[in-house]
Amino acid sequence: MLRLSLAMLLLSSLATACSGNNGNNAGAETTSKPDSTNSANAGTEEVKKDKVTYTIFNGVAGSKDGNTNETTIGKMLEDQTGTNFKLEFLVGDLNTKIGTMIAANEYPDVLIPDAAIEEVLNAGAFIPLDDLIEKYGPNIKRVYGDDLDQMRSADGKLYFLPMSAQVGEFVPDPEPTAAFWVQRRVLEEAGYPKIKTLDQYMELIENYAAKHKDEGLTGMVSLTHDWRFFATANPPMHLLGYPNDGNVMVDPATLEATTYSGSDGAKRWLQALNTLNSKGMFDKASFVDNYDQYIAKLTSHKVLGFFDYRWQVQTALNLLKDAARKDPSLDGYNYFPLPVTFDESIADAYVDGPGGLVTNRGVGITVSAKNPERIIQYFDNMLKEENQILISWGIKGETYEVNEEGRYYRTQEQINKIDEAFNEKFGFKYYSWNWPSYGNNSTLSDGNARGVGYQPEVFQMSLTDKDKEILGKYEAQTYTQMFAKPIDRPWYPAWGFVKEQNSPELMWETNKDELTKKYYPKLVLSSPDKFDSIWGDFQKEWGKLDTAGYEKWTTEQVKKKVDMGK
Amino acid sequence: MNTKTILATPEIKTDQQPAGLRLFLSKLVKQRVLVFMSVPFLIWLFIFKYLPLWGWTIAFQDYRPALGFWDQKWIGFSHFKFLFGDERFLRVLRNTLAMSSINLILGFLTAIVLALLLNEIRQVAFKRIVQTVSYLPHFISWVVAASIIQTTLSPDGIINQLLIWAGFIDKGQEFLFLGIPHFFWGIFGASSVWKDIGWNTIVYLAAMTTIDPSQYEAAEMDGAGRFKRMFYITLPGIKSVVVVLLIMNIGYLLESGFEPQYLLGNGMNVDYSENIDIFVLKYGIAQSNFSLSIAAGMFKTIVSFILLFVANSVAKRAGESRLF
Repeated sequence: MLRLSLAMLLLSSLATACSGNNGNNAGAETTSKPDSTNSANAGTEEVKKDKVTYTIFNGVAGSKDGNTNETTIGKMLEDQTGTNFKLEFLVGDLNTKIGTMIAANEYPDVLIPDAAIEEVLNAGAFIPLDDLIEKYGPNIKRVYGDDLDQMRSADGKLYFLPMSAQVGEFVPDPEPTAAFWVQRRVLEEAGYPKIKTLDQYMELIENYAAKHKDEGLTGMVSLTHDWRFFATANPPMHLLGYPNDGNVMVDPATLEATTYSGSDGAKRWLQALNTLNSKGMFDKASFVDNYDQYIAKLTSHKVLGFFDYRWQVQTALNLLKDAARKDPSLDGYNYFPLPVTFDESIADAYVDGPGGLVTNRGVGITVSAKNPERIIQYFDNMLKEENQILISWGIKGETYEVNEEGRYYRTQEQINKIDEAFNEKFGFKYYSWNWPSYGNNSTLSDGNARGVGYQPEVFQMSLTDKDKEILGKYEAQTYTQMFAKPIDRPWYPAWGFVKEQNSPELMWETNKDELTKKYYPKLVLSSPDKFDSIWGDFQKEWGKLDTAGYEKWTTEQVKKKVDMGK
Repeated sequence: MNTKTILATPEIKTDQQPAGLRLFLSKLVKQRVLVFMSVPFLIWLFIFKYLPLWGWTIAFQDYRPALGFWDQKWIGFSHFKFLFGDERFLRVLRNTLAMSSINLILGFLTAIVLALLLNEIRQVAFKRIVQTVSYLPHFISWVVAASIIQTTLSPDGIINQLLIWAGFIDKGQEFLFLGIPHFFWGIFGASSVWKDIGWNTIVYLAAMTTIDPSQYEAAEMDGAGRFKRMFYITLPGIKSVVVVLLIMNIGYLLESGFEPQYLLGNGMNVDYSENIDIFVLKYGIAQSNFSLSIAAGMFKTIVSFILLFVANSVAKRAGESRLF
């Protein structure tokens, strides 16, 4: 049986005991030779003859470990710079892995610490990048521009690069980030009504369920498993017309951040679920099911609606879509996103706007790196527009085409060819994220979208006839057109603010999670007449949290961000 | 090896048996090969079990991973004060003790009863099947086991279906077993028994094979029936094993496990499912508050240590077999 705390104790104490010793595996594989050419001109055009390999640790579990030069894109970048990267992805617990590196003071050349960035910075593991960028980073300066100032630490130096920055014009995602989803057959039977409010949404589902009593249908399910509980806790924010800022809603006019988990908005949302439950149409097991069971339910054809973020349910949506492609009669089981708010006068915010920069994630060069110049040159080279096209679109004639007007597109044949295995071999997978790059919503200088999925032509090709028919009923070409236009929120996303380890803010979040996980199920599943008394109990407990302190801290961060963006 | 011979005392050729230090030294010399063989394991033990105790100092610091030992901020007992002052900690302590007691008692009783019953079966093939079937769940990881349990207990799972079929509840009134807080300990106990009963019987069955068959024959001659034989021969025969295992397990009383509670726990049953390990994960490790984690770990170790010694000395006084 796993004795986690004991293992932790052993590990951390052993790490303390041996600090100073080496014999660590990470970062030992660099084969770099002293670089004599770094005194040469700062231009990035110079060709490096000697080949070197650097190591990168990526703090997110993802692909298989491997060398970038084993992929087509990576090979081309190696030919340009002479640099190869050996990528290692996280296996197991992030804090343990990073903690071991810190204790041993041995790092890979490049580190992407994900959520553990604060610990890495405190440990002084990153070297300052200012001089390097000044010398070797014309493209870095072009792409990130003033954004870099937002990433500076208290001593005014820059220790890591954000993962991406907005370049050129903003292209919205053709599909919303989050939505209230409903089965298409429900819409079809109701004659494709315009659904704007939660009440209309609930009514739509109830009507359908009432007409199909003997089919064993579920009105709504909700995802609550472990840390994914936010899928059930976040809707009040969206229903009130705010995007996913985490635990707060930020007023764009006053910049005041307010929490909503114990607010009237939350009460209204939970009451709606409670009513649904009392009619036997809410899946009670939502509060005990795990993530796999949830996904299985979404693909079972029995669930009429749910709220969630697209990235969480993408697997289920893809499965349904693939099935409907093969057999069009299954199309009704696909889900359709709806811009639901509490009131028709509230503009929704389900589509991600331009926003700001995620400042609690990034990539840095560590003190163990022997040739930071070569690494920064590689990053700089990557940020050239031609290489951004290579990383995103691939090779012209092979993975994309250009028509007479200069628009990029993919043929059906190319779309079919590019599957998971191809992504790995070609390098799209290694280069898809966690490298300094243009943001997904960026445009290239010729007006094409940087992200393939964001190019309207490519999106149109991915639609089936039925998709187009339904969108046509709502007079839209993309799903996003059905939603409100996103407004500029320079602080967005507020969940990306850096929080100190062991700080009151983190404590508040843990306590809030605890409290909502305990009371929300009670509120939803209780009989409607007991709802108010349980809400009273919840409010009593909620009052014990230092919510005002949390809101004050967040407001300060928001204002700081807005000032920096000016 | 030379030093050993220098240390050795010359053998005393008297009629009297050597005693005290002399006895120790003479035995040491006689068994020097054994002593020598155990040295690597002592070194192993020291490095992996005693050196880490150094890390306990972290519990008294405001620990930051990057700083050296002398740069840490020392804050005395405040982490312990936080732990014992927190009503949540007292609640998780209660849950830990309750669940491990349930585990201990249920685990012991069911395993001994099953072992006794298996011991009486003369049909070898049937006995083998029962044994295999009962210890197979032990090899399933808790992740898989938790999914099985969740599915079984879900509103459309087999238990609810059986209840509906038997007419205890109507359709639409299915129990949400994992959502009823005070059901959790029971579910936990039952799943632990299901998972480990077969495995736990193995040691008792082994102990039973050491009992001299002539005792059974004699008892049968004297007219003892099956249950009498079980009660007066088999049970006393395995008593020493039971006592030693009981003492050892009492030392683990604060280890109620981590996986089943973590995997089966949810917001609705948190008041009864959260134990010390999960508390440490939530408020210590997840917030990078390593000091708090270690303070809780220290508390567990010390309490376990005391429990072990108490149980052992009780056994000693009662004249039973014991650990040391």
